[in-house]
Amino acid sequence: MTSLATVAAQGADLVAPAAPDGVFSLVWLLIALPLAGAAILLVVGRRADRWGHLLGTLMPVASFIIALVMFAQLLGRPDEQRSVVQHLYDWMVVGTFRIPIAFQLDQLSMTFVLLITGVGSLIHIYSIGYMRGDPGRVRFFGELNLFVAAMLLLVLADNYLLLYFGWEGVGLASYLLIGFWFAKPVAAVAGNKAFVMNRVGDMGMSIAVMLLFVTFGAVGFGDVFAAVPQADETTLTWIGLALLFGACAKSAQFPLQAWLLDAMEGPTPVSALIHAATMVTAGVYLVARSNPIFDAAPAAATAVVVVGAITLLMGAIIGCAKDDIKKSLAGSTMSQIGYMVLAAGLGPVGYAFALFHLLTHGFFKATLFLGAGSVMHGMRDEVDMRRYGALRTVMMLTFVGFGAAYLAILGIPPFSGFFSKDKIIEAAFSQGIVIGLVTLVGAGITAFYMTRMIIMTFFGKARWDDDQHPHESPPVMTVPILVLALASTVGGIALAWNSSIESWLAPVVGFSEPHLAIPNWGLSLITLVVVLVGAFLGWAQYGRAPVPVTAPRGAWPTRAARADLYGDALNESLFMRPGQWLTRVLVFVENRLVDGLVNGTAATIGGISGRTRRWQTGFVRSYALSMLGGVVLVGATFLLVRL
Amino acid sequence: MSALLAADLAPFPVPSIEYSAISPLIAIFGAAVLGVLVEALLPRTARRPVQLVLTFGALAVAFGLVIWQRDTRATVLEGAVTIDGPTLFLQGTIIALAFVAALVMAERRVDVAGDDFAPRASALPGSDYERDLTRLGWLQTEVWPLLLFSIGGMVLFPASGDLLTMFIALEVLSLPLYLLTGMARRRRLLSQEASLKYFVLGAFSSALFLYGVALLYGFAGTVSLSGIAEALTDDAQQYGLVLGGTALVAIGLLFKIGASPFHQWTPDVYQGAPTSVTGFMAACTKVAAFGALLKVLFVALGGVRWDWAPMLWVIAVLTMVVGSIVAITQTDMKRMLAYSAVAQAGFVLVGVVAASPDGMAGTLVYLVAYGFASVGAFAVVTLVRDATGEATHLSQWAGLGKRSPLVAGVFALFLLAFAGIPLTSGFIGKFAVFTAGVASGAVALVVIAVVASAIAAFFYIRVILLMFFHDPAPDGPAVVVPSSMTTIAIAVTVAVTIVVGVIPQPLLALISDAGVFVR
Amino acid sequence: MNPENYLVLSTVLFSLGAVGVLVRRNAIVVFMCVELMLNACNLAFVTFARMHGTLDGQVIAFFVMVVAAAEVVVGLAIVMTIFRTRRSASVDEANLLKY
Repeated sequence: MTSLATVAAQGADLVAPAAPDGVFSLVWLLIALPLAGAAILLVVGRRADRWGHLLGTLMPVASFIIALVMFAQLLGRPDEQRSVVQHLYDWMVVGTFRIPIAFQLDQLSMTFVLLITGVGSLIHIYSIGYMRGDPGRVRFFGELNLFVAAMLLLVLADNYLLLYFGWEGVGLASYLLIGFWFAKPVAAVAGNKAFVMNRVGDMGMSIAVMLLFVTFGAVGFGDVFAAVPQADETTLTWIGLALLFGACAKSAQFPLQAWLLDAMEGPTPVSALIHAATMVTAGVYLVARSNPIFDAAPAAATAVVVVGAITLLMGAIIGCAKDDIKKSLAGSTMSQIGYMVLAAGLGPVGYAFALFHLLTHGFFKATLFLGAGSVMHGMRDEVDMRRYGALRTVMMLTFVGFGAAYLAILGIPPFSGFFSKDKIIEAAFSQGIVIGLVTLVGAGITAFYMTRMIIMTFFGKARWDDDQHPHESPPVMTVPILVLALASTVGGIALAWNSSIESWLAPVVGFSEPHLAIPNWGLSLITLVVVLVGAFLGWAQYGRAPVPVTAPRGAWPTRAARADLYGDALNESLFMRPGQWLTRVLVFVENRLVDGLVNGTAATIGGISGRTRRWQTGFVRSYALSMLGGVVLVGATFLLVRL
Repeated sequence: MSALLAADLAPFPVPSIEYSAISPLIAIFGAAVLGVLVEALLPRTARRPVQLVLTFGALAVAFGLVIWQRDTRATVLEGAVTIDGPTLFLQGTIIALAFVAALVMAERRVDVAGDDFAPRASALPGSDYERDLTRLGWLQTEVWPLLLFSIGGMVLFPASGDLLTMFIALEVLSLPLYLLTGMARRRRLLSQEASLKYFVLGAFSSALFLYGVALLYGFAGTVSLSGIAEALTDDAQQYGLVLGGTALVAIGLLFKIGASPFHQWTPDVYQGAPTSVTGFMAACTKVAAFGALLKVLFVALGGVRWDWAPMLWVIAVLTMVVGSIVAITQTDMKRMLAYSAVAQAGFVLVGVVAASPDGMAGTLVYLVAYGFASVGAFAVVTLVRDATGEATHLSQWAGLGKRSPLVAGVFALFLLAFAGIPLTSGFIGKFAVFTAGVASGAVALVVIAVVASAIAAFFYIRVILLMFFHDPAPDGPAVVVPSSMTTIAIAVTVAVTIVVGVIPQPLLALISDAGVFVR
Repeated sequence: MNPENYLVLSTVLFSLGAVGVLVRRNAIVVFMCVELMLNACNLAFVTFARMHGTLDGQVIAFFVMVVAAAEVVVGLAIVMTIFRTRRSASVDEANLLKY
């Protein structure tokens, strides 16, 4: 690392990046630490059983501490000096085309680095408890470290190609971790599915990178964004759509969303870190990072909004339908990322809020997943919520954490979701009434399924088997949950205070205040009402449903009378029926169309392959014949060209 | 006729021979001839050590001579050989790859019976005679001169300055390969069959190539590459001869490259040949044949670029698609790697179709990346064995990652390089040819190539999955610990695959310094 | 006599050889067909040499003959071994490697 001091002479950027002096000469270390952890753990393997998890946890924690120091330093600087580029070496020089290995630390990447290392560290700590006794624990920590390194590379890259490496890296790590329990066939299949869908998206990414190269002759963020104003809008639209396609796969957005539900076969800390807090938000990062491109290509930005809106509703409805607690949460993740993608597609009014929601979502969704993991840990890996119930009594700490995150995702003030989601709804309404309504309805459905989840899990009657002995998890698991729950509680207000998040991010992604026809507090009030209605319906449906089965036969007319106007009947006709129907349609679309498309493509290729290989008959004379056919083919192309 | 002879013969020019420029060739061919003498004169027990010293010595010396000649840009031997930057680069690559591949061929510890070759190719498979020879521990040492002749032909192939030399080089590299293919110690029937198929088809394609040479000679009145190029600039007639000749010459070379629809020998031969020979063939033949293809197309036939580029476009698409798709349903490891080699040839052709200096540079990068990964992959295949020899059925590789994480990890690295995953050499190769393709306007071709490489990634990743995510069969094969020969070979190929992936700049600089072919 | 007639003859011979490779089963005959193709090339070379008034083509023909002879050596060796193993010289029976 002798070339550390080399300073990148970057092209024109919006803000000319500063030299990596002081602590910023350590940017590479942020990535190198977890990478070293991964290398050591994966090479040493089972021999590190006694200390592997500690080393694996130490690495992201160390990165987090470095990141905190850097953050403090950045805060002390004026806006225009907050972007630092560290140039390590020129990776490739082909003619005038130069690809450096260089890291860019600015407000946007700093935010992500803090989220990744912070939440990542907590989840590593939690995993010490969660994976205790698993024979593959060292491998698990190694792969988790690999993920953290790749994700940091993704957000710290200063050009699209390096970002693409990180992009592939997180995909690989995610794939390995989903299939972690590969002895389970479901897990292996799920890993495969994630891989297939992500490859499809990666094709979009690689086409985007190639288009960028052809259009701008460069892939560095600075060079590309400086040249965007001169580019043709059609080209930019195509680039934007290709980027969006890549983002859709990684962030589980329509139409490439199906893998996320299956990805829940992985260990729960993985679901929390990769499939909730960080990796799946990479698509949002990509759109936000590429903001000059999307700002200059309104059609692509509209596509982003549409994708976000569809996924937002789709994910929420799927969340209502699943009994598996993790799958329900996965649907919720899709939906919440739909919010972010939608916000990011809105342009400068939305970027900052998309990222704000990304942060708060990182907190509360990680809390929810870790809480779910804690429940599963105490319930011998039972995931069916219909077999939970009344767990608040035995798992008090988990319940408290889960509850705080529940209030946060609903957007109850002063919990964090209130600040971030409200801002997105405001931004959406400022851009159009339809998308505004979509976000509002989405908030209502969110309240419904989350209420359903928390009631089925923690309230009501215990529905678990007699030989289940649910118990609270050890402190090494509950403490991270509570820390994250605290972040979910106060994170929103801390970041929203004095519009600090907007002004922090504005130099990178731009910002303009959304303008509404009605005062902001009015919309907040409407949102709150919608959320409360959703929560009430959830309670009405599930909180009161398990009527005591011991009730005497003669009492059922009384019960019928008690089934009031707002009760099951209304739910049934107004909400549940269409809901069930919609769910069924969605499940159908998901199983037949999307899966069908993916599996169908695979099957088709396999079929073609099976048929094509029959040409290889083994007869040498038929090979000679096909060579002669080749002669004819070559002759034909020559003739065609000449004609 | 007699007047013509008299006129031409009278002042017979004494050819000037620039020995320094062809010194690498002399080193290799000289050692090969010595090797034949060794077979004839030395007692059996002394042959192997002498042959090994000769082979590795000659290759090392030849490599040193190539480096010594690095600044030579000359047409020598009355135009029969041209030495220039790309040629020297290709020669160096071929020699280095051959050295590594020869290390694998020299291995005699992995197979309990000896090395990879039948003790006597003429012994009937399964006969008592063969068993006796095996029991006595006889080793075939004639493979070494054969190998050297083949390498000599490969080193001459891209250096040829006229089509006759190229034809001779083609035969000199092919004939020993036909024989080496038939010499596998195990599975003799497959090996013999592969040899026969390779021979028949190879001879067929040589004849096509030669007729192409004849047509080009008829057009230009000379077989020298620069002479043909000149004739193309001033003669606008007789395009029938040019096109026919171009087509047939290109087909002869595409056959060696293993491009579809001339690829069908590849799977059979790669599967049947001794695995160490397969590694040698897959890497070196391909580099040499691509070098010759580039030379013919750019030096001699640049004038009809608009005719051959579309043809190669079609062939490239066909090759990538057929290779990637058929590989998916293969069940034999060597056969799968053979189809993968076909697909890889298609990706390299993208760089050739680009028909630009960047495209040529990309092609060379790709060849280096692919060549080393290929030798390494086949070297790993030689290590996974059960009682009957190499365990090449895919199902036998299940769970290898649990039994021997190191070997499985190395193999996974090569597969990732084939798949073009970033930070391996394969990515650099793909990136270089694809960007060159896009820059020259072949966007559709590159999109097809990206899709094909996504399909190809499936079967590479499938093997990785199989190795790491499946439980090993109880009676599965074991990984044999090789001697230092194979170990060094694998270590070198791993190092090249990683170093070129992480720090590709020196290689790229070397290639861009090499410049373009001289006429 | 018009030298182009020799070219026509050479093309006919070459095609005959190529068709022979495709239709004949006996490895030796297939092999002879390849030789026929090479000789057709030789005819083309000497004819073109005559047409251009250069010697190159005639010299090339000698080289081709040498190469053809070398090919015979290698080819017969391979055919012999496979014949001894399988008791048949049919190229169609060597059919273990496929798909």
